[in-house]
Amino acid sequence: MPLSWALFASLLLAFAGYLLGRSRAFAAAGPDVRQLHSRPTYHGASVALTALMPALAVLAIASILRMAGVITAEAGTIVGLIALAASVLGLGWAATRIGRDFQARNAVERIVLGLLIMCSLIAILTTAGIVLSLLFETGRFFQVYDWKTFFFGTEWTPRFQGNSQLGILPLLWGTLYISFIALIVSVPVGLFAAIYMSEYASKRVRSFAKPAIEVLAGIPTIVYGLFALVVVGPMLRDYFAQPLQLGNSASSVLTAGLVMGIMLIPFVSSLSDDIINAVPQSLRDGALGLGSTPSETIRQVVLPAALPGIVGAVLLAASRAIGETMIVVLGAGAAAQLGLNPFEAMTTITVKIVSQLTGDSDFNSPETLVAFALGLTLFIITLALNVVALYIVRKYREQYE
Amino acid sequence: MYDMNRVENAVSQTDIKIAARGVQVYYGDKHALKDVDVDILDKTVTAFIGPSGCGKSTFLRCINRMNDTIPIARVEGKIALDGEDIYDRRVDPVQLRAKIGMVFQKPNPFPKSIYDNVAYGPRIHGLSRNRAELDEIVEKALRGAALWNEVKDRLQEPGTGLSGGQQQRLCIARAVATAPEVLLMDEPCSALDPIATGQVEELIDQLREQFSVVIVTHSMQQAARVSQKTAFFHLGNLVEYGETDDIFTKPQDSRTEAYISGRIG
Repeated sequence: MPLSWALFASLLLAFAGYLLGRSRAFAAAGPDVRQLHSRPTYHGASVALTALMPALAVLAIASILRMAGVITAEAGTIVGLIALAASVLGLGWAATRIGRDFQARNAVERIVLGLLIMCSLIAILTTAGIVLSLLFETGRFFQVYDWKTFFFGTEWTPRFQGNSQLGILPLLWGTLYISFIALIVSVPVGLFAAIYMSEYASKRVRSFAKPAIEVLAGIPTIVYGLFALVVVGPMLRDYFAQPLQLGNSASSVLTAGLVMGIMLIPFVSSLSDDIINAVPQSLRDGALGLGSTPSETIRQVVLPAALPGIVGAVLLAASRAIGETMIVVLGAGAAAQLGLNPFEAMTTITVKIVSQLTGDSDFNSPETLVAFALGLTLFIITLALNVVALYIVRKYREQYE
Repeated sequence: MYDMNRVENAVSQTDIKIAARGVQVYYGDKHALKDVDVDILDKTVTAFIGPSGCGKSTFLRCINRMNDTIPIARVEGKIALDGEDIYDRRVDPVQLRAKIGMVFQKPNPFPKSIYDNVAYGPRIHGLSRNRAELDEIVEKALRGAALWNEVKDRLQEPGTGLSGGQQQRLCIARAVATAPEVLLMDEPCSALDPIATGQVEELIDQLREQFSVVIVTHSMQQAARVSQKTAFFHLGNLVEYGETDDIFTKPQDSRTEAYISGRIG
């Protein structure tokens, strides 16, 4: 592993550079440290960063070249040596700059600013990279499969021998149907819980109940899936579907929707709770001072003031519901179909992405490539929801802060 | 603790709107208001003055039982509105607050239109039978708050879009629209510029013809300008209460004198 050794060596060099820079700065200062423009620690930091940065740059460039195929893994030793050399050169150069007038503090702050910008760029570029990779594979999919059949086809029957029907509509329908039921469950329960917590609950109840609700948020979704599989599914089948003669399947839209709704309750309630708490107390006082009851105050003043934020919270919950996978696999099954009966098994886009990509098939057939088209569609739907939600939430924030 | 003789010994009884006897307020362990006796007259502006933390706002919030909304607050003693104890178990604070309006330190218009802000009280208390009557109440209240001419063409615009002084007058209109018997004002001008302050003070003087106004203020000039009666609070005690002119020209208590001459506060 020559590269990690090079990294380790340049880190050591940087540390040595820090000590060197500091002591040289003390030496340059003479008896009065105030003679220096920057404090000695800044001189040390400046040397350390100047030693470290070139090595990191060399390593980063080398790994990009490696990915692009310009150099091979065998070049590792040479790259490591170049990085080390760059580090030594940087250290030497920085050490010569130390003097009473050298503005080490400004130099360090510029470098740190650059690092901060780089980190935020990484976050943005990664998103762009994900979208690009999806776009690229989706483009390949539409070269081998008709886009009209994909977007408007009502049948989903992938066959690995070829000649598959790959219409997104049954999957989209299942996704929206299950998400809709999840929201019907989670929004009222979560919102009313939030209203109770923020407006009625005493401090003691709140200090106990709020964490208790938020524990729900920490449960992995696969555990919810198990709950759907062994409890909710069979219960719905035995007590509702079979007596009403609506179906015999334990996997159903309703099972997945209900359990997903339970999963989203803490999400909705904790977001709404924050939003309701952000409504200024002066509005409540104003309403109470006019002789409104607490419930009139909540319905007519607090909730309208909090509404944009609550809508934002609901949209964020919706985008989570749309992207949820494990609960659907275990709760709703894998049968892609268009139907209205909530006791029937259905499936969602995310589940089908998983099933199209697991198993050994080559990455050129439409049956696998379709996963990327599905992923991109899902990404666009949730992105749109998030953008709308964030826009609404931000508009609301401007009003009160 | 409630002693009818003390009420009868007070000034001309018919004019007394609110009679407070032995009022004590505790916030947790803190004794915020100590044994306050005061008679507030009808159709009079009464000013409460005193340094920060002296209990004047606390006492104001006792009069419409707003302290009920603070879990750690405890009120003892009697406060009678037209002779009836407002802390009696049978009194519903919600109904009480419909009779005793309140205007707060910071303008707090609801996130609704100007019209709906003013119509809020009349609507929840069912003061109008139809839209025309409601329109009339709203217009009268806005005129009463000297705001009508500025907003009559934009009644459907949000109340939060008005300037600070307009917002505060909107809040006064909102309180007036409920047809209160007493209007409590908690430093209503502290967030306003001098011009808006002047408008609100003028308004207070007009409102006195309809009901009694109790105003908490940090500004002694304001107390002298708008009130007929002044009460000086210090460290939770009601130190002195009397005609505004007397309080400012010949205070009886050395603490009052020290405060109005700027030596404590």
